[in-house]
Amino acid sequence: MHSSRRQFMLGAGGCAACMSGLTRAHVLPTDLPPLVDVDYEPVDADERGIWQSMEQIEETIQASPQRLNAPELQGYTGSIIEQLMGRETPDLRIYLMRSALFNASMFPTGMMIVNTGLMARVRNEAQLAAVLGHEAGHYYRKHSIERYRSLRNKTATMAWVGAIANLGAGVYSVGPYSSSDWIYVAQGINTLVTMSMFQMSRTQEEEADAYGISLMARSGYTPDAASQVWKQLIEERKASAAQRDKRYRDRSASLVSTHPPTENRMKDLADTAAYLAKGSNRGSTDRRDEWLAAVAPHRAMLLDEQIKLNDPGASLYLINSLAEDGWNGLLRYNEGEIYRLRGETGDQEKAAEAYAAATAFTDVPPEAWRAHGYALLKAKKVDDGRYALNRYLELNPGAKDAGVVRYTLAQ
Amino acid sequence: MVRRVMSVAPVLAILLFSLTGCIAPPQQLTSIGFVPPGGNPKIIVMRPDVAVDLLTAGGLLERREDWTNAARDNVLASLQALQARRGSKTRVAITRASAGGEDATVTELNQLHAIVGQSVLMHKFSRQAALPTKDGVFDWTLGEIAVQYGRESGYDYALFLYARDSFASNGRVALQAVGYLGCMVGVCAVAPGGSQTAFASLVDLKTGDLVWFNYMQSNEGDIRTQEGADVLVWTLLDSMSAKERANKGS
Repeated sequence: MHSSRRQFMLGAGGCAACMSGLTRAHVLPTDLPPLVDVDYEPVDADERGIWQSMEQIEETIQASPQRLNAPELQGYTGSIIEQLMGRETPDLRIYLMRSALFNASMFPTGMMIVNTGLMARVRNEAQLAAVLGHEAGHYYRKHSIERYRSLRNKTATMAWVGAIANLGAGVYSVGPYSSSDWIYVAQGINTLVTMSMFQMSRTQEEEADAYGISLMARSGYTPDAASQVWKQLIEERKASAAQRDKRYRDRSASLVSTHPPTENRMKDLADTAAYLAKGSNRGSTDRRDEWLAAVAPHRAMLLDEQIKLNDPGASLYLINSLAEDGWNGLLRYNEGEIYRLRGETGDQEKAAEAYAAATAFTDVPPEAWRAHGYALLKAKKVDDGRYALNRYLELNPGAKDAGVVRYTLAQ
Repeated sequence: MVRRVMSVAPVLAILLFSLTGCIAPPQQLTSIGFVPPGGNPKIIVMRPDVAVDLLTAGGLLERREDWTNAARDNVLASLQALQARRGSKTRVAITRASAGGEDATVTELNQLHAIVGQSVLMHKFSRQAALPTKDGVFDWTLGEIAVQYGRESGYDYALFLYARDSFASNGRVALQAVGYLGCMVGVCAVAPGGSQTAFASLVDLKTGDLVWFNYMQSNEGDIRTQEGADVLVWTLLDSMSAKERANKGS
């Protein structure tokens, strides 16, 4: 029994090594044809069942109050998918959802969720296309059903391993044998099977990355944008960790992660982009201006959502990144809000400076005048403060807090 | 091909008994002071929330569209038969659209009922999960959205029905057989087979409150057949109709 357990452990070590080798393997963006057509309908019983249960989820999403009501942005996002696929895409249904977390997800039936937290972070159309292309990859490569079938096989394997081990333990519980060895071996095997499920998920993510970036190259988007998304995210997470006096730790760098380590994805995508650039003579574009125009009406809401996450490190990183294209009133006002909400020593002064700076821009949000006014009153600059509060009331006469502001002015 | 093996196996019956032992014998619950709707209230029977799954060897529940559709049709037929017997102003909503309210409201209401009903099952029928705040009271509600639906549709009461049924795959059955062998040599761990859970609630659309609740759980029966669906519907709803008759008589 003991020797067999050692052999088993050896086997485990060997396999663990091959897994980590796979983790770093490239999936080349070639030979990844879509596995479903535009009018795909599932035939197999298991897949039909999944589609049926997804219908209810999609209805919930359609009626959800969390949906972002933004027809133009919705249409714009849809046009990116069509650009990527080179055809109309009635098979992909995109839902923009109000969630400040950086994420997008694909459902087995072609329903795609895109969070506002993603919209807040991408810097150009190509970066958004990178994420949409990745999610489309999950759909067109049929990852959900592939993963479900693998899960079904592996859970069955685990159940059989457990049942046979129980039987073995029962049979060998008499005589000089140790019946618990059966259970140990079964647990070891089942742990490996569990690990292989995570490995499969990571492989699918790599394939979706490769699929997405090949769509980008084909449709004229700068493939570099894909790795840029991850570069920005790593930088933001480092800034967030530093603010909290923590060290940045990538939660995806684990054998039980469903996604490959973020750094690896970034490097893989950058390598693939370089590989694709070599083989192509056609120009590519990141369509930054188009993106900025599309997102402009929603920028204030996106920043507000982010700031309310109470993650000042990440929020300041985002504001400063956006300000690389030039400061404006909205960014300065939100910078002030981050400092005001953080409330560390000296933040009150930093906030006051930011509000003051905001009022110098033509696109200043009315709220910046209010914040500027109260900051001045606190600093005993009464006349300037009253002027600023009056400006707020002029610019926003119907403000909900107009009464409070008038009360202050009457003091 | 696919079947339940539960009831034929004594060992498993014992195991199941121990599993279901935590659940009190089926009983209906009503809010305090509930009087079954007298007069001639307008009652809508919402489109039943039905799903039938295949229980895979590894224990996953795999939705089966054909079984689900057949079972929903059967349950609807049983409900319509019940309605025909009762007469009055009870209507059965065959589709969600025929429930009378806004689509989104009806969808949300159905899903809310599934969640609230599961919560009643867990906290009212399982002693381990009993909540001190729910001791001796029955005050679950679907809230404002149910009242809104009542206004939109003009109904006084809505009856909701939730049913789940599952059937062991061939692999699962074989696995259970190996489990029985284990029992013979002293290590007894038999994987559970398919089962049926269903509950029904009557909701007062003036307040949104659940005024009546009943559930059933079984390791037999098959709602993919009309007989099985009839048994489920009558088990859940017959006692209420009996009470209603008594109320009319008094």
